[in-house]
Amino acid sequence: MKDKDDFLKQMENLEVPDINPTEHPKMVKMAILNAERSAALGLWLIVVPCYFLFCVFMYYFSHIRVGTSWFAAMFKLMESLEKTPGIAFLGPIILVVLPIICIIINALAITHVKVEQIDPQRSKRKEFNFTIKLKLLNILLILLSLAILLIFIAYVMTENISIKN
Amino acid sequence: MKLNWFTRKGIFYLPVTLIGWLILAIAAAYSVYTFIDIDGRSHSVSDTMINFVFNLLLIGLVYTVIGYFTEVRKSVE
Repeated sequence: MKDKDDFLKQMENLEVPDINPTEHPKMVKMAILNAERSAALGLWLIVVPCYFLFCVFMYYFSHIRVGTSWFAAMFKLMESLEKTPGIAFLGPIILVVLPIICIIINALAITHVKVEQIDPQRSKRKEFNFTIKLKLLNILLILLSLAILLIFIAYVMTENISIKN
Repeated sequence: MKLNWFTRKGIFYLPVTLIGWLILAIAAAYSVYTFIDIDGRSHSVSDTMINFVFNLLLIGLVYTVIGYFTEVRKSVE
């Protein structure tokens, strides 16, 4: 009986670590760029490649009976844009670099990365936190830019293979 | 150095100073010039439109990039 009382006393006097469970969500996760500004510029950055792809789409479907492939339609359209000043050397830059810039500025606007030490006693125990804000427009722009890049990489690969053959 | 030439409304940048209006006027004048230039060398309406819209979007992109870097920043209180 005495042992039980001692045990209960001991348990009552135990020091409980002070943990505030609401502390973590309160942390302000600042992004490097403003999401709305990045979305506004991002839209303008991908509108040019999107317009180009739309023209290719129209060309492909209007000449489909002649046996034009999708990439041949892209090549024909590149040729027909010769009346736009400087498009010959600007073309690849516009169609590849602009989506890459769009991805970078939108990714910087919605992501937050933090490396923190979880145990002050052990210097090697660190935690890597990667947060993505669910901003629909920014995520959509990143996905669209990735799709445009993939199409152009496929186009360049196909063109190179066909030239070698 | 703060350049407060434009203000953003959605995805468009509107000029708020004289320099901003000047840049908008130059962009508009260049658009008209390219339309006349492209139209003079084109053989059909679609030929003109395909090339002109491409050019117009590029001018819009350059204008937006200028607006992006010279936008009026809202101060955080």
